[in-house]
Amino acid sequence: MSASNPTVARPAPAMHPMKRVAAYGQEFILLGAIILLILVVSFVNPRFLGANNITNIFAGNAYIAVAAIGMSLVIISGHIDVAVGSLIGVLATISGTLAVNGYPIWLAWLAPVAIGILVNAGVGALIAYLRIPSIVVTLGMLSILKGGLISVTGGAWISNLPADYLIAQFRLFGIPSPVWFMVILTALVAFWMRYSGFGRTIYAIGGNVEAARVAGIQVERSTVIVFAIHGAFAGIAAVLFATQLQVIQSTVPPNLELTVITASVVGGVSILGGTGTVIGSTLAAILFAAIASSLIFLNVSAYWLRAVQGLLILVTVLADMARRHRLR
Amino acid sequence: MLKRTILLALGLSLGASGAALAGSWTGGDDLPTNPLACDGTPGKAEAKPYDGGVPTNAPDRKGKPIKVVDVPKLIGIGYFNATSKGIADAAKELGNVDAKTDGPTQANIDQQISFIDNYITSGVDGILFAANDPVAIAPVLKKALAAGINVVGYDANSEPDARQWFVNQAEFNGIAKALVDNMAKEVGEDASFAIVTSTFTTPNQARWIAEMEAYQAKCHPNMKWLETVEAQEDNVLSFNQATTLINKHGDDLKGIFGMTSVATPASAEAVTQAGKCGKISVVGLATPNAMKPYVEKDCVKSVVLWNPVDLGYAAMQVLRATADGDLKPGATSVKAGKLGELQVINGSEILLGAPFTFTKENIGQFDF
Repeated sequence: MSASNPTVARPAPAMHPMKRVAAYGQEFILLGAIILLILVVSFVNPRFLGANNITNIFAGNAYIAVAAIGMSLVIISGHIDVAVGSLIGVLATISGTLAVNGYPIWLAWLAPVAIGILVNAGVGALIAYLRIPSIVVTLGMLSILKGGLISVTGGAWISNLPADYLIAQFRLFGIPSPVWFMVILTALVAFWMRYSGFGRTIYAIGGNVEAARVAGIQVERSTVIVFAIHGAFAGIAAVLFATQLQVIQSTVPPNLELTVITASVVGGVSILGGTGTVIGSTLAAILFAAIASSLIFLNVSAYWLRAVQGLLILVTVLADMARRHRLR
Repeated sequence: MLKRTILLALGLSLGASGAALAGSWTGGDDLPTNPLACDGTPGKAEAKPYDGGVPTNAPDRKGKPIKVVDVPKLIGIGYFNATSKGIADAAKELGNVDAKTDGPTQANIDQQISFIDNYITSGVDGILFAANDPVAIAPVLKKALAAGINVVGYDANSEPDARQWFVNQAEFNGIAKALVDNMAKEVGEDASFAIVTSTFTTPNQARWIAEMEAYQAKCHPNMKWLETVEAQEDNVLSFNQATTLINKHGDDLKGIFGMTSVATPASAEAVTQAGKCGKISVVGLATPNAMKPYVEKDCVKSVVLWNPVDLGYAAMQVLRATADGDLKPGATSVKAGKLGELQVINGSEILLGAPFTFTKENIGQFDF
């Protein structure tokens, strides 16, 4: 590759056919799995196909899918964030606190996004400029945020939320708003990752950071921006999480960060960086909700949900390694 | 893992419907149960010797004014504001108690210990506490006993020998009876219901479910348990699981039990959003603030917990009776003012009584 090539930051999206299958194969597999699961379970119990149940499957993990969009960008760029669950908890509490204390509703919705951007830009800066591994920085953040949240709230929940604040309960054309958020944001980011210069930059950094540097990409600045974007999605996910019910817990769901990371990885985002799409992570989040619902319909213990998720991770990572091996 | 996979594939393809309906309820434990009488007669106390502590050289405080400090897990939250009010009410009624509440602003055991330590030094006659940690708090409470101070716990126990008495807000069989009775009253004696719990292995929930099964078999034999689903302590998952139950069972489902303070409001929200208010009853354990929106809209009729004002009131009455020498080791009951005669259980615990049911009429009086 010639260093004088000025178009390197915006390469033509031409792909070898095998690579195209490799890049999008996971999405097709996930889509097929969702459809197959729905068919099999509705054969056993036709009520599974009821409009309410299908809506529940798509809306159930929507906030996880939104968080997984940001997580996918972080993982594609070659990093990881294990603090996202705690961050969502903190941002949800901030949002709810603003809403019940009479601040304008739009502020309660936007503040978590803005704070998410700021916090994660800081995290990104520590990782990029001080060269601390992302797992270390975000593990630290995990403890700080979780401890801080319990200290500040004292375990008290936020109740008496105003009705017009509960954005996750809004519906458009009969479809709950979290589904709209999930679908529109996934489509926008997928398009942007595919065709924008910065989108390709993220793949380049994750694929081979030294090559990206040689090609003139500002790796540090880009890393900070990726984490800032991830913070914005954590903020949106936090608002959806906070407004789904009429109270906000002072604790986040156990292992939320793992669920988000699992969605990204099972969605085909390589844990080694450089490949994957946000369409995959969103489909994986929907698949998890479909599995959870299926287990109840089939009278299978919910313990299997964790076993199945674990199995999916192993299978995906093995398939990813096999694919890399074959394409080399 | 391979075996599990094959099993799961089999389970999925065969559709193991009905398999879970046989046998006992899922989510209960296998420990022996002790269902209460259907008519509300209190359970008989098992004879167990006194296992509480004894203060060293406590002065004769009978009828004399005493100074009492209450150190809850933390101050400034609705729940402990309510227990504190109960303590103040009892102190005022007794007329010879100077009671105050003081404690950490965070539920922190180290801070709680230093608060208690300071009050031992400054000199009090009685200490009330709700422990942040049953083991870590024991040494400082033993120090108080050694200084001749009367020590009584409520809400969250310490090791038994570190305090004289503990006021227990609710026993498992009492909670189980209140839940099942309220459900039977709302949905009828032959209705079907399901349970949303945290996990099948969470000790308290597993105990409650086992007691509920025993009590239902004894007192409401025609009610039908459909299934128990897990939702951890996750409100969105609880909502999703409750919604799936509603979608799966359709009109067969008449009631949902919420076994945690997360699952109950989430189940109520699922019923609300499914437009099933009035068709599906939600009965469960929860705090009043989380349930107010549903109770006020008539979607939920009964929320079971205990009354923290009564809990604080009982703790103060027990402390006074202990200081007066009216409540001695080996006693089987104690007079607690307006609450009447309270039972001694498990050696050195006082049972507050039947759990409290929050309804539309009374829920507005509580803020926690």
